Amino acid sequence: MARELHISSLVVHARPEAADAIRPAMAGLPGIEIHGEANGKFILTLETESEQTIVSHLNTISLLDGVLAATLVFHHVEDLTEAE
Amino acid sequence: MTLTRRDYLKAQAAATAAAAANISLPAQAAPPGVGGDPTIKWSKAPCRFCGTGCGVMVGVKDNRVVATHGDMQHETNRGLNCVKGYFLSKIMYGADRLTTPLMRMRDGRFHKDGEFQPVSWDQAFDEMARQWKKTLKEKGPTAVGMFGSGQWTIWEGYAASKLMRAGFRSNNLDPNARHCMASAAVTFIRTFGSDEPMGCYDDMEQTDIFVLWGSNMAEMHPVLWTRVTDRRLTNPNSRIFVLSTYEHRSSDLADVSLVFKPNTDLAILNYIANYIVSNGLARKDFIDKHINIRRANTDIGYGLRPDHTLEQRASHANDAQVSNPSNWDEYVNFLKTYTLDYTAELTGVPKERLEALAKAYADPKLKVMSFWTMGFNQHVRGVWANHLVYNIHFLTGKISEPGNSPFSLTGQPSACGTAREVGTFAHRLPADMQVTNAEHRKITEKIWKLPDGLLPDKPGFHAVQQDRMLKDGKLNCYWIQVNNNLQTAPNTAQETYPGYRNPANFVVVSDAYPTITAMAADLILPAAMWVEKEGAYGNAERRTHFWHQLVDAPGQARSDLWQLMEFSKRFTTDEVWPAEILDKNPEYKGKTLFDVLYANKQVNKYPLSDIEAGFQSAESKAFGFYVQKGLFEEYAEFGRGHGHDLAYFDVYHQTRGLTWPVVNNKETKWRYREGYDPYVQPGTGYQFYGNKDNKANLVFAPYEPPAESPDQEFDLWLVTGRVLEHWHSGSMTMRVPELYRAFPGAVVFMHPDDAAARGLRRGSEVRVVSRRGEIRSRIETRGRNRMPRGVVFVPFFDASQPINKVTLDATDPISKQSDFKKCAVKVVPSQVAAAGEGRQ
Repeated sequence: MARELHISSLVVHARPEAADAIRPAMAGLPGIEIHGEANGKFILTLETESEQTIVSHLNTISLLDGVLAATLVFHHVEDLTEAE
Repeated sequence: MTLTRRDYLKAQAAATAAAAANISLPAQAAPPGVGGDPTIKWSKAPCRFCGTGCGVMVGVKDNRVVATHGDMQHETNRGLNCVKGYFLSKIMYGADRLTTPLMRMRDGRFHKDGEFQPVSWDQAFDEMARQWKKTLKEKGPTAVGMFGSGQWTIWEGYAASKLMRAGFRSNNLDPNARHCMASAAVTFIRTFGSDEPMGCYDDMEQTDIFVLWGSNMAEMHPVLWTRVTDRRLTNPNSRIFVLSTYEHRSSDLADVSLVFKPNTDLAILNYIANYIVSNGLARKDFIDKHINIRRANTDIGYGLRPDHTLEQRASHANDAQVSNPSNWDEYVNFLKTYTLDYTAELTGVPKERLEALAKAYADPKLKVMSFWTMGFNQHVRGVWANHLVYNIHFLTGKISEPGNSPFSLTGQPSACGTAREVGTFAHRLPADMQVTNAEHRKITEKIWKLPDGLLPDKPGFHAVQQDRMLKDGKLNCYWIQVNNNLQTAPNTAQETYPGYRNPANFVVVSDAYPTITAMAADLILPAAMWVEKEGAYGNAERRTHFWHQLVDAPGQARSDLWQLMEFSKRFTTDEVWPAEILDKNPEYKGKTLFDVLYANKQVNKYPLSDIEAGFQSAESKAFGFYVQKGLFEEYAEFGRGHGHDLAYFDVYHQTRGLTWPVVNNKETKWRYREGYDPYVQPGTGYQFYGNKDNKANLVFAPYEPPAESPDQEFDLWLVTGRVLEHWHSGSMTMRVPELYRAFPGAVVFMHPDDAAARGLRRGSEVRVVSRRGEIRSRIETRGRNRMPRGVVFVPFFDASQPINKVTLDATDPISKQSDFKKCAVKVVPSQVAAAGEGRQ
């Protein structure tokens, strides 16, 4: 079966006063890394095995208290079966 | 994969996001650039979905779209993408893509009750032409019609308008945009004499106050919402007001949420005007100089069938569109009804919230941007609602300058560019002209190089009327392109489906997928979509943008443009035009409609060699000339020099779009304002030049109740609408597995107490029943929408739960746009149906 690695990035807008609560909640999701943050804006990357996980992470983040918008920016897929 | 490559890609992903969000990252991040397969060819295109008009980069490999990402160079989205746009690359590759014409056949020939069988394009067009000719001969041009779309490319809508109006001499051409923003479009013309907003998206970075009137931007225009969010978080004066009949994701960002009883937004709008006037905050100087005051006819009915009691009772059902000259004193007096007490009582909104909103509009130091979509437009008084919000912007002079902007958003990618600018409505011609205006018809005949008096002078059937006329057997040949009307029209079980299956009618549907509309047709034509053809869209901020054909359509699928033009070859002028016109103009005799409409030495004047190197155009190859360029350049003639100037064709392929009017190669961001709009003369300040006297119209109108309200039996309000993951009827997004799984089936959003009162819980199976029909669904008491008591919300994307069997076909009597936001229903446990009433 084809194995894939998806690398994508998100911009998340949150209420600045909620940032302290949101940060660990996002960081706790598997494959997520926070690369930067300013005035309630977060830059995240996601490393997932399917696009489905990107969508479910996006939904989970959107519904966190204090999150106002979560938007995808970049997506790249690597075929791991080829690479190995 | 090596760790360094993984790190490199991640750094690139982060850098791209940071650039889009305007954040600087620590130094080790790699710059954005090409990060993958060098064999992928990247080209620009606008997104296929909503009216925002984001730019995307489309990656093609081996004649297949393999990836898309937000276009960093496109001003609208600056690299961002919503979840639907993100999965654009998958919309063309659903397993059930239509690749051959399918006709209902029995014993080797067409039969209304036959089974769908594959046929050739020749067989399909032969049968279509036979049906069209028979109907035209027996019943004349009013018995043929077409239902198009705000997803048509500009040239598709233009070619359709020519074929219908000039070819078949019928104005029975309407777009699904009628269901979507006719109220906005009609009010633009009534107010400014020119359609579409005066401002642009840049207003979002310049304004202080955002007011959302019946718009859930967080889900329906997510990329614009990101820009609103950014402004709210960085500008200390910024505040957001959200007005709706329930709370949704946009309410999360709201500083003030105003949940009102359905239809009472009219009272809130008048209350705000009253507040401004009675506190002496009106810009009387602005009104005197730039505004005419008019009073609307009232008691105008609900656009139902004329024999309906509500229409019989209404005193102005037949002249609903009329407004009468009025004056300041009469207007001020009219507003006195809308006191804070009266409005709070009628609407259910707490007084302090109403007052906060009125103060924000009135404060001369604050800039205000009003947004609206379907809550305003799908409204039995949608035209009035649109008028009343302009009235507030007139009273405060907050219009036509950066940050002060009443802004009507749209739902389809070319609702503006095609449905409105090309004029594919039953009453419109290109560039804001009207079919009832003799001068406008003459201009059109001249540009189209057609005989005098050819164009029909009566408006055709609008969308809802088309369904009624199909059912009644008065509209018999009907072609539907790029929309799924059986799922999206109101009251479909009673008023839409019967017309499609009426034995007197022949219904053709062009689509990429077997939608429920296609399956109810007699002939299905497989359509090319999006980057399988060269296209042009116009978004909500007047931005016209183009794309090239990037891949081939599958199998026998052909673009709507090719279908329209190829079909026109099967008719001669002698067959479809009156003898007296041909006798007076013998040079048109014996020509095909293709000859007179498209091979007219204008449309066919650009050679194939004009196509940009490295690209192709299937239609141009088929017809032997650069079809898109010829159609566009002929069309552009309507607007150039008349305030609708479009740039030269080739320019659009080189830019990320331009907002019209484009004068001397410069786009116009704010219309009607000196210093921003080249059409406004120095020293005037403002000129609303769509109207001859350069003034805009303030039209005032009262609160009137909706067509149907809850009662003892049908005790709940039903609101329908969309969700983030799916676009409209879901014919594309439901075929993207990731989006399907994210929101696989419609649900009934309901207040937990309303559920408990009916013995229901989250997940309970229910029937949603109105006087017209019913569906089965499940209860949702949590999640993205928070309903007040007495109101339920059901999205319409799910073909297995066609909520429009339940809705009412009431329309705004002026715009003829249906009201999908309010009718009366009951919600009962589904097992009661099985045991008790048992009626399906």
